[in-house]
Amino acid sequence: MPANPPLHPPSCPVPAETPALRTSWWRRLSLILAVVGPGIITSNVDNDAGGITTYSLAGAEFGLRLLWSMLPITGVLILIQEMSARMGAASGKGLAALIREHFGAAVTFYLMIGIVLTNLANTVAEFAGIAAAMELFHIDRHLSVPLAAILVWFIVVKGSYKAVEKVFLGACLFYVAYIITGFLIKPDWPLVTRELLTPRLDFSAPALIMVVGLVGTTIAPWMQFYLQAAVVDKGLTAEDYRIVRWDVILGSVTVSVIAIFIILVCAATLHAHGIRINSAKEAAMALAPLAGRYAAGLFAFGLLNASLFAASILPLSTAYTVCEAFGWESSVDCKFDEAPQFYTLYSLMIIFGAGLVMIPGAPLIPIMYLSQVLNGLVLPIILFFMLRLINDRSVMGGMVNGRLSNVLTLGAAFILSGLSILTVFMAMW
Amino acid sequence: MKNGTLNNNGGVAWFLCDLLDQPVVEREGGSLGRLVDLIADVRDHDPPVTGLVISGPRRSRLYLPWNWVEDLRPGLIRVRSGARDSLSPLELPNGGTFLRKALLDKQIVDTAGAKVVRVNDLQLRQRNGALVLARVDVGLRGLLRRVGLHRIILPTLKWLFGYTLADSLITWRLVQPVGSADILRLKFSQARLSRLHPADLADILADLDRPERDRVFRALDIDTAAEVLEESDPKVQVQLIEQLPAEKASDVLEQMSPSAATDLLQELEEPHAQSLLKEMEPEAAEDVRCLLSHDEETAGGIMTTSFFSQPPHVTVAQTLEAVRKEASDLDVIYYIYVEDQDGHLLGAVNLRELLTSDPNASLESIMERRIVSVSLDAGQADVADLFAKYGLRAIPVIDEDSRIHGVIRFKALLDVVAPHLGR
Repeated sequence: MPANPPLHPPSCPVPAETPALRTSWWRRLSLILAVVGPGIITSNVDNDAGGITTYSLAGAEFGLRLLWSMLPITGVLILIQEMSARMGAASGKGLAALIREHFGAAVTFYLMIGIVLTNLANTVAEFAGIAAAMELFHIDRHLSVPLAAILVWFIVVKGSYKAVEKVFLGACLFYVAYIITGFLIKPDWPLVTRELLTPRLDFSAPALIMVVGLVGTTIAPWMQFYLQAAVVDKGLTAEDYRIVRWDVILGSVTVSVIAIFIILVCAATLHAHGIRINSAKEAAMALAPLAGRYAAGLFAFGLLNASLFAASILPLSTAYTVCEAFGWESSVDCKFDEAPQFYTLYSLMIIFGAGLVMIPGAPLIPIMYLSQVLNGLVLPIILFFMLRLINDRSVMGGMVNGRLSNVLTLGAAFILSGLSILTVFMAMW
Repeated sequence: MKNGTLNNNGGVAWFLCDLLDQPVVEREGGSLGRLVDLIADVRDHDPPVTGLVISGPRRSRLYLPWNWVEDLRPGLIRVRSGARDSLSPLELPNGGTFLRKALLDKQIVDTAGAKVVRVNDLQLRQRNGALVLARVDVGLRGLLRRVGLHRIILPTLKWLFGYTLADSLITWRLVQPVGSADILRLKFSQARLSRLHPADLADILADLDRPERDRVFRALDIDTAAEVLEESDPKVQVQLIEQLPAEKASDVLEQMSPSAATDLLQELEEPHAQSLLKEMEPEAAEDVRCLLSHDEETAGGIMTTSFFSQPPHVTVAQTLEAVRKEASDLDVIYYIYVEDQDGHLLGAVNLRELLTSDPNASLESIMERRIVSVSLDAGQADVADLFAKYGLRAIPVIDEDSRIHGVIRFKALLDVVAPHLGR
């Protein structure tokens, strides 16, 4: 602005030499929340209905025998999540966009069909989790599931998703209660430590299926898309990468610690008393006489929060991923006409997800199991694409994968494929 | 698509994907390799294909100039004999762009629809022996053709619903490729970008992936960049300004209205904001520092200091002359505020009164003395109530001694109120 003193006297009330960028309390709060990054959110969504169920079953059926598998699973989780976050920071693009730009339309199309089906199976599992949790509070699923579906749809389309995300995330703090319960039941700590550190290779069918379930629920394909998109969406770049990596590691460790404690609680109570369960709901009911009503209530609440959180993220993440791959407008700030594909996909995911649970006599446990096997089958394919991309200098610049990381990821991908294919064969046999 | 389609210009049109990966055959010589890519010169309005990229031994890429091509259509790519000896290692000629590597499957800006789309295919048209890039396929039909499902899905749709899925093609002249900084610097790119309204451009930037977004933003001139920033969401603003060199960033901030620049600086991390402030012209920086001292949620936080004020004794003619000179740099010109030497607000004259009054009259004699004003620390809701009650375009902001500090534009209020509307 040109200076024109007589016409425009400057009128600043404060000494201009001491500019202070004022931060209101709201800004300060949001800055603190900004520290809670994509890695931690992704990991907490990862502890979903399928997760809590599988961990409970693993503990109830096998006691502490499968506990050791959580250590390598955590390692692989960190390995893969770190790659996703690094790809987001280095390329500034989502995984779906990168795959489309480097592998063409046909490959992307069939991959997206796989992702949509896998995520749909996972969404069904989340709604099944909601149904189970609400039945613990004596609310019929024919009431709770449609209500949850409408709630989830409205939260994202009409409300502020970011605000809701923080509420769910805050609720995740209650998962600390799993850890407290773990201490309250006074397990045999030396034994727990020993079981955690000694790998027991058990090639019996039930044990293998359970391990695949643990892997499938902990490392799901949607997470790679979601985490990378979240890193890009936050505008994190190569300079932020250090913090991003810690965020990812912290998130992965959190998810594993909670998983380990769920296994521990179920092992020390249900397994020790020889109680067989088939679902997280039964785990909660069986826990009441053994670990107290408080523990049972915690399980029910944890299951509900986890299911709702994941049920609101999975359909959204699916719609974003597909629209990103095909260049369709995707934003919850758009009207329906502006982003028809986005809203159609998003709504269909919720309608089918909730609808399948409502079918009388729907086989919820097999669906949940199927979703994890699907995860296990699709994940190696995603890993293959990720490996190709993350070693491409035109995508990653100087942040390409190291040799060790390549070898480990390739090894993990082979083991995961092998395990998944093995289970499918065993299931068919 | 094997027989091509006659388009309205009478030339035959092919889709790029029907040509790619076919063998390139030399007349009387056999295969040279497979067609990997085409290169077109985008400096032309209708970019002609200038060369072929052919697969060579051991995954190498070879270049063959277009003048060797005898026939090129789906099912047949034939070059004159002797072409084999003219193959050279691949190098992108000046102004050339790879059609597959740089455009296919990438984001592109549809300047007519003001949106970002992904390229499913490219349509090439034969014209006087040349092959020119004619249209960009962004539709579902093109996607199905790429996937190979069009032979199943299209007849099924027709049979079941009598529905024909139309091609969705955009003329090349109406799209803007964003894959390379070089192309964005070309004259045609600058012309296409400048045709877009800054608000549309801001939406487009938000929809682009980060590398493309940064590239487009860096290609904009300072004035456009400032306008686009003002129209962008805070999150996008921060990302855009952070990737600019400090010198250009401060230039852009100077061009923005002080209130918008202030809002942006508040979103940045403190040290970065301070260093940008230091880079800015002293006067512009002064305005921003002044605005920074107010809480965002109050009248002081949403006001602009870029308004026009005059002493009471100045005549209408003098004022009009001064307005003429300064108007382009001001946020508020509809009201001229009258203040005394100490900055006390005495009254205001609107532009209509100024234009219809006697040129020799003093402002004092025609000004409105009953002024609706608001105090620096008034809340946004109070400001909104005043606008609603009095139907004003701008409201001055005063302190306890009724000295004027700034003016709140209706537009600034809209920015505050809009998020609460509807959804």
